[in-house]
Amino acid sequence: MFNFGILLPDLLSILTVVPRTIAMAVTIFVFATILGSVFTLIEHRRIPVLRELVIAYKVFFKGVPMVIAIFLAYFGLPPAFEFIASLVGLEINGYATPSWVLLIIALVGCLAAFQAEVIKGALNSFDTGQADAAHSLGYTNIQMSRRILLPQIVVAAIPDLATSLMVTMKALSLGFAISVVDIFAQAQLTAALNYYYLEAFVVAVVVYMTISYTITRGADMLERSLRVW
Amino acid sequence: MNVSTMIPELLEALPLTLAIMFVALAAGFCLALLTTTFRVRRVLLISTLADLYVSYARSVPVVLQLFIAFYGLPVLVGAFGIEDFLSANLAAMVGLSLYHGGYLSEVMRPAYLAVDRGQHDAADSLGYTFQQKIARVVGPQAVHIALPGYGNSIIYLIHNVALIMYIGAADVMATAHLIMARDFNQYQFETYLLLAVFYSLLCLIAWMIIRFFENRASIYTLSNKPAKFSLTASV
Repeated sequence: MFNFGILLPDLLSILTVVPRTIAMAVTIFVFATILGSVFTLIEHRRIPVLRELVIAYKVFFKGVPMVIAIFLAYFGLPPAFEFIASLVGLEINGYATPSWVLLIIALVGCLAAFQAEVIKGALNSFDTGQADAAHSLGYTNIQMSRRILLPQIVVAAIPDLATSLMVTMKALSLGFAISVVDIFAQAQLTAALNYYYLEAFVVAVVVYMTISYTITRGADMLERSLRVW
Repeated sequence: MNVSTMIPELLEALPLTLAIMFVALAAGFCLALLTTTFRVRRVLLISTLADLYVSYARSVPVVLQLFIAFYGLPVLVGAFGIEDFLSANLAAMVGLSLYHGGYLSEVMRPAYLAVDRGQHDAADSLGYTFQQKIARVVGPQAVHIALPGYGNSIIYLIHNVALIMYIGAADVMATAHLIMARDFNQYQFETYLLLAVFYSLLCLIAWMIIRFFENRASIYTLSNKPAKFSLTASV
């Protein structure tokens, strides 16, 4: 029933895509964090019209399953690219956009909404008394953010950021629907060659759990070494 | 695209989708109760297994969990002598229950731990058994703390029900794919927009129900600090 001999070849085959998956996950994570920070800044500063737009954006992306968002990007972005290019007078073929680019854009869009919550939570943990103290010492806003705010909220956000990096990793598994090959898709492709589906998927589970364990432990160690008080 | 004929067709697949969802909700809840009990009581070996199960449910993509259930069930059932057993709907129920149970356990445990330490101690010193303590003292307070996290987990379950079409269950997504294929794939973007609205409505209804209970449960609260639930997506 369960072929143990096939596990090692499957593992070797799946390991070949691990660097690519991690690279894509990190890219998405970085862009989503940047976009999420911009959203948090807009909400924090209460910029009139943009604030409502950000709230609507968040409601949309939290209510819609990620698969559907990915398909929307897959079918909606190429014509949108062509349209935008035609506005500046360029003639491009939007349908030639590689699907991994579309996947990255879709996931950055989805995860930015959640990343904004993570950053907002970290920002709320900051004691505003410290900002007042800094201002009374004559710090400018930028100095205050760089020397007092950032070092604290970065440390406070580490556990949640580690979780969301893992979430990004898992979200990439939905990319197989638009033919992007990550760990899960590679497991499926490997299994399709030798028909040992369960075995390949079990190997993929082990790979995912190992990566998750590494990320969690790494984040713990980072937090402990950065936390000064 | 003819929306007026498409919506009834999609709604025909709704009962199956909801059935799978409710089975996962109920089974996942029982599973989470069991897992959380083992995790907070530290039974030798069983607690470690419970921890391992929760980290499986949380660190493996739901698609992969569904496929594991789909291909794993026949092997499991085959051990009891039943051959050629392959059911997408049952696999979807099992896979989503396992996912929801693990996710929910990670909501219940912080809620249990967030109830004021003194309440646990008082119950213990009065000689309450574990069941009595949960039922009379800690449980009612933990419910209030856990409700926001429970609402999130239901919404994530609704999101992940959209994935069961990949193992071949005939849910709303699969029906939409059939309709798209019948229309020669002309209106894919529009169909997915419709699906987005559809799932948003489902989430909105779930959210409103949870909000109703949140307001009701607030009568049990002492001055408990809310447990911290990080709002990260779950796929």
